This record gives sequence, structure tokens and C-alpha cells, in this order.
Amino acid sequence: MSRWLTRGLRSGVRTTRFPDPGEAGEEGAASSVRLRWQALAPAQALVAARDCPTTAIEASGTESVGEMRFDAGACIMCGRCSRAFPEAFTAAPDPRVSVLQRDRLRATVRWSAGEPLAPAALHEVAVAVRRKAHRLFGRSLHIRHVDAGSCNGCESELQQLASPYVDLQRLGLFFTPTPRHADALLVTGVVTRNLRSALLATYAAMPAPKLVVAAGACAISCGSFAGGPMTVGPLDRLLPVDAYVPGCPPTPQALLHGLLLAIGRASERANVLEEASDGA
Amino acid sequence: MSDGLARLAAGAGLELDWRRPDEAAASCPEAEFADRVTELAGSAVLADLFATTATGPAQLTAVLQLVSDPSWLLLSAELAGVTFPSLTPRLHAASWYEREIFEMHGLLPEGHPAPGPLRLHDWPEEHHPMRPRAGGVARLPHPPHVPKWPAVTGQGVFQFPLGPVRSGPQEAAEFHFSSGGEDIVALGLRLGFKYRAIERLAQGQPAERALQLAERLAGTSGFANGLAFTRAVERALGVTVTQVSEHTRALLAELERLHSHWGTIGRLAESTGLLVGAAQYGLLKEEALRAAGRLTGHRYLRGALRIGGLELELGPSARRQLRAQLDGWRERATGLGRLLEDTSTFQDRLDTTALLSPEYAREHNLVGPVGRASGIDRDTRRDHPYAAYSEVLFDVPSRAAGDAAARFQVHVAESTQSLRIMAQLLDDWPADAGPAPAPQWHSGSALGWAEAPGGETLHFVELDPVGRVARWRARPPAVVNWHPFAHACGSGNNLTDYPVIEASFAISPAEFDR
Repeated sequence: MSRWLTRGLRSGVRTTRFPDPGEAGEEGAASSVRLRWQALAPAQALVAARDCPTTAIEASGTESVGEMRFDAGACIMCGRCSRAFPEAFTAAPDPRVSVLQRDRLRATVRWSAGEPLAPAALHEVAVAVRRKAHRLFGRSLHIRHVDAGSCNGCESELQQLASPYVDLQRLGLFFTPTPRHADALLVTGVVTRNLRSALLATYAAMPAPKLVVAAGACAISCGSFAGGPMTVGPLDRLLPVDAYVPGCPPTPQALLHGLLLAIGRASERANVLEEASDGA
Repeated sequence: MSDGLARLAAGAGLELDWRRPDEAAASCPEAEFADRVTELAGSAVLADLFATTATGPAQLTAVLQLVSDPSWLLLSAELAGVTFPSLTPRLHAASWYEREIFEMHGLLPEGHPAPGPLRLHDWPEEHHPMRPRAGGVARLPHPPHVPKWPAVTGQGVFQFPLGPVRSGPQEAAEFHFSSGGEDIVALGLRLGFKYRAIERLAQGQPAERALQLAERLAGTSGFANGLAFTRAVERALGVTVTQVSEHTRALLAELERLHSHWGTIGRLAESTGLLVGAAQYGLLKEEALRAAGRLTGHRYLRGALRIGGLELELGPSARRQLRAQLDGWRERATGLGRLLEDTSTFQDRLDTTALLSPEYAREHNLVGPVGRASGIDRDTRRDHPYAAYSEVLFDVPSRAAGDAAARFQVHVAESTQSLRIMAQLLDDWPADAGPAPAPQWHSGSALGWAEAPGGETLHFVELDPVGRVARWRARPPAVVNWHPFAHACGSGNNLTDYPVIEASFAISPAEFDR
């Protein structure tokens, strides 16, 4: 046992200081694609929509006039759009991608005579609700995870939350085996026909007040499996969702940001649109 | 062309249609199918058995694998009705394949001892997800009643259900223990919770788009499954891949094996309460995932594959950076593996836990580390080389003990071999020969395979004239390796052994359910 002790000590402290500023983005990969709408032409939007395997990019119109609907909640990070049009679709490794409202992951860009029009204004965040959640759960949160039909990618990343690099317990976050002790339900997967009742029973067994976090493209929008014969999701069709964590799968830091966002201990960084002058 | 396969076919009276130098097809009448397969399974391995109902008359296909003289035989039989004689009474490995054929296609294996569903829960009996609805199908046979759990009753025997929502961030599956107090008398296993109908969803999609479904078959073996699918499509189209692509594919497949195996060993340490060990392997796994993210932009290597090649190139600096990590990883992983072997609290929990005898493993044709820990010395990387595996030297570790300790040793030894393969690939990187031409789409069908972290994954793909998927059959390793799980749990283990058993099998419900 002493050899394990010395080995553990020899490794030193490897834990990230995330969510402290300046400690984000060391995970090697992005959890979400952001859109620089000024750098995109309508013809390119049509190509990107054709190649997108999900409903993340949908476009209509012609070479100069048209509309593109972008939904980061349906993005499975296949990389097709960002490889074809790297100026417009950027995969920045900032893990602070979670949002409180589904619409914050969506944006619509319109073009008239080849010129982009400023996208529609986005919804305001319900600040009052967050304050209440912070007061209730801000110090410590017990999380019950339910796999509602994932590919195991999300679970693999959730297991990394406990690894020394992330160590979610330093922030007062704990996984709990029983829904009776849980404050938050963390759901991954498309919600299959076979798991619907188990998911609803787990939610019902949790004491109020309770939070629901949708983790990953499948839980948010069914991702690659939308419209499948066994898919009964997305999650917000069945339960009220408090935070959405995009990604396929979301990286451990993105998951951490989503959990902290749900209890008001982190804030939304921005929406899915990135200004070209942002410099990021 | 393989002489061994030609001899085998001549002995069975089959006429071979050589589709590729290592893949032949043959057909026989429905009435002879069971006899032919049983006969061939004496000298070849029954690697898969599936039905096709989407592209014409119902048809059964057995995939037989010849290891001595590397080649594959696809033996098919057209069915006139909705029943066929079951192989299971003579060939135990066929049991779960036949149950799947029944629930998915509505073709009843007559004489199967328990043909109940594996994946469908509360599903209308007349509907079978893989069978086309249109066309006025005759009334299909109803399944015989199957009890949900093995009924072990008696004084002092109690029932202990676990799942589908289990403790911690784990996948959904249901286990039903019958116990006399401490011991597991019998285990009932219920899978299928995560059935997403992936193969059905892919039908009619362009192969390039269906590839992202193959990559999402299972999280920690996505690249291997994607690679097997890609290779099936490439073989069907007759596409050859550049040497650089082959090298990159092998490199990324080994990187996936590393993070998957390190995750497995970490979970094993955790299951015995050895938290420092779990944390150390958690560090290694995170480093491998980050390396994958830096190389491909995705921590699970998704989006890297393309039909005919790869979506990306690994530049010299990226390769150098990875090469510089390998020695440190090897040193740490070897040291940790040795330390785990020396830790009695760890070893005592694994020794003789969940025994699978070599005979049992052979009977069920087990694959991957689970099979290799029970003396099955098979590995598609060596036996049917693909990508760049014929250009590197490596060992295939195997053990005869068949317990959790043997499975642990195989995982440790395999991760060392992966590092060895990666170092050889990086040191001998081929010169770039320019981009490969885009594939010309036409109809065709072929088998593709790869060695996933959990074992051999086998994908059969049939394309229509414009390159859309007409039929895709995926047989990932979990389909084979879940089969012995209940048996392994029930053989003299305690309830407290259960976490160790599950961690040592390292199989994903998602990969089984699909």
C-alpha cells in the first residue's frame, strides 16, 4: 500500500483549476461548433446544409438570397462544415458551451442580395430563476445520472469527471446512487422506447426542488438518431430541462460547466454566434 | 485465393464464388443449410449468422472464418417461408444470432430451446424492426412464452434486481440475481434498453453518412467499428487506400485501444476499492484522449474516417509530439501494471473470479481480451491483417486461466503491444503519395473487419447502385461476449464479486444493443 501512496504523491497535483478564468481549453478538442455568420455566403450555407448529417445546419434559398438555421444542440462534431468553411464554422476548444435555454443554441442567419442581415436577437436569460437555484444548490449538488440510450461516449466522459484532472468533488459536486438523495438528474442519450419509463420513474423518485441537465447532442436533439423507430426523445419533450450541454460527447470540462451553470455558479459565456472581430 | 477454403468447400460440395482474394460466397438449399454450417464449423469459426429481408426474398447468411489460411466464407440460403431449422441444438454459438434473427426479422428458428427476444421490450408481436412493413407479409409466427428471469426458487433463495438505472455514471442494463445470501446462484440478464435501431436507420442513407452511425455504435470502440464499416464499403467498391492512410488508421485504432484498455484497468482497480490505481489510470486515459483530440479534433476520433481514406493528415510535428509521449506512457503503464500484480488486495479479488474455461470459450467462439484470456489465440490484426498491421511486429498475448485476473493481464499486455505498434508506425512513416481519388459509387457487397478494443468487429455492407446502404449488418464484439456473461457470474461467485466481473469483461451494453 505504501508503494501506491508514494506513486500517488509522486504524480503531484494534476487537477485543472477550471472553471477559474484562464484554465479552460486544455482538453485537446472542442465540445461545440460556433458560427461566424459574417464569413459565410449563402451558397456556402447550402453546401454545408447538404453535407451536415443531422439537422444542425439547414438552409434554403439561392446563391444570393436565403436563410440558414444553425442549431449547435444537434451538432455531433463530425467536422464536415468546419473543414469545408473554417472561416465560418469554428471549433474553439472553450468548454463553456452550456446554455440554460434550448433557443440559445439556435441562430438564424438571413441574406439579402448576398449581404448577411444581423441575426435575430436572442432570448434573455431568466436571472431570477438562477438566483433561486443558486441559493438552494449553490454549495453542494448531488447528481443522479441516467443513461437513456447513449453510445457510451457520454458515460466515458462522465467517468473522467472523477479522474484527477477534473475532480468534480473539489467543487462540491457528487454522484449519488439513489434518486432520493439527488438534487439534479443528468441525462445522456436519445431516450429510447425501452428506457422511457425508467427515466420517468427516476425523475419521479427525486424530491423537489430538482434540476434536469441534458448532456450531449442525443439528449438535446436526438442527434444522429432523430426520427428513428426507437427514439422517443429529445429529453425536453418528456421532462423540464434546466441546462443543455452540447457535444458528442461533451468534454469533461463542458459537463462541469453545464452542472455549475444549472446551479448558478457559472455563467453562459455567449451564444452560438461568434463575432468576426472577437479575435478568438 | 485460399487453398484451405477451396478444399473445405469441395469437401462440403459447395461451389465458391470468389468475390475477393480472401472472401468467397456460396449458396445452398434451405434444407441443407443447417447441416452445411455445422459441418463447416468443425474446421472454420462461425463468426456471424444473420438474415436479410430488406433486399428481396428472405435469406440467411453464415459468416465462416478460416484462420489457418486467412479467408472468409459467406454461405447463404434463401428461405421460402418464415421458419428455418435451428442450428442451436448442434452449435451453441448460433443461439443468440438466431434469437436476433427471430426478433428483428420474424424468421422463427424451429427447434431453438428459447427463441425469445434479446432487445425488444413490450413490442407488438407481429412487428419486427428490420423487416419491411410493405408488401403484405404473411402472418408471422408468435414467440413461444419465455420467462423473463431464470426461475431459481427454493427455501432461502431471494431475488435481487439491479438496473437499468444503476449506481454512478454507468450504462443501462438490467441484472437479476438469485442468491442464497452471498453467492450468486443464477443471473438473469436483460439487455436491449439502449436499442437505437442503428442498422435500420442506416438503410437508404448514403454510405458516407451512415459512417457517422457506425462511429456512434459504441463510444469507446467507435473508431474500430467505423473502420470496419469503411473497409466493408471500400471492399464492395474495389477502392484501394493509400499507404499513409493505412498507417494513420492503424495508429488511431491503437490509440483508441489504449484509452479504452486504460479505462478498463482503471475500472477494475476501482471495483476492488483501489482508488489510487483508478486515479492513475484515469490520468493515463485522459492523456490518451487529449492526444486523440489534438491529432484529429475529436477525443473519440469521430469524423476522422472517410470512405477511401481519411479526412485529415497527421503532420510531422503532430507525429513527433505523439512519439515523444509513447516512452513515458510505456514506463508508467508497465510500472502500474506490475504494481497492481503485486497488490494482494487487488489480486485476491480477481483470482478465480468469473471463470470461463477454454472449452466454454471455444464453444461460444468468444473474441477479444475475454476470449484471449480463456486460451483463444485469435486476433484479426494478426490473422487477417488490414490497415498497416502486416508491416509491424507485435505479440498477441493470451492466457489459459480464464478468470478476471487473466483478463486483467491480457488488457495490460495488450496496451504495451499497442504502444509498441504505434512506435513502429511513427518511426517508419511512409512518404505522402498525394490524395486518393474519390470513390466511384456502384452496387456491391462485402465484409469488413477490425480488431476493436473488445475484440473482432465484423461489418457486412450491401450497397445500392448509387452508394446508399441497402443492408448493413454489424456484429461488434459485445454481441458475442455478452453471451457467456451470465454463465461466468453464476459459477461460484459472490454478489460482492459482481463489480469485478463486469469491469473485467469490459463490454458495453450500447455495443450490444446497437
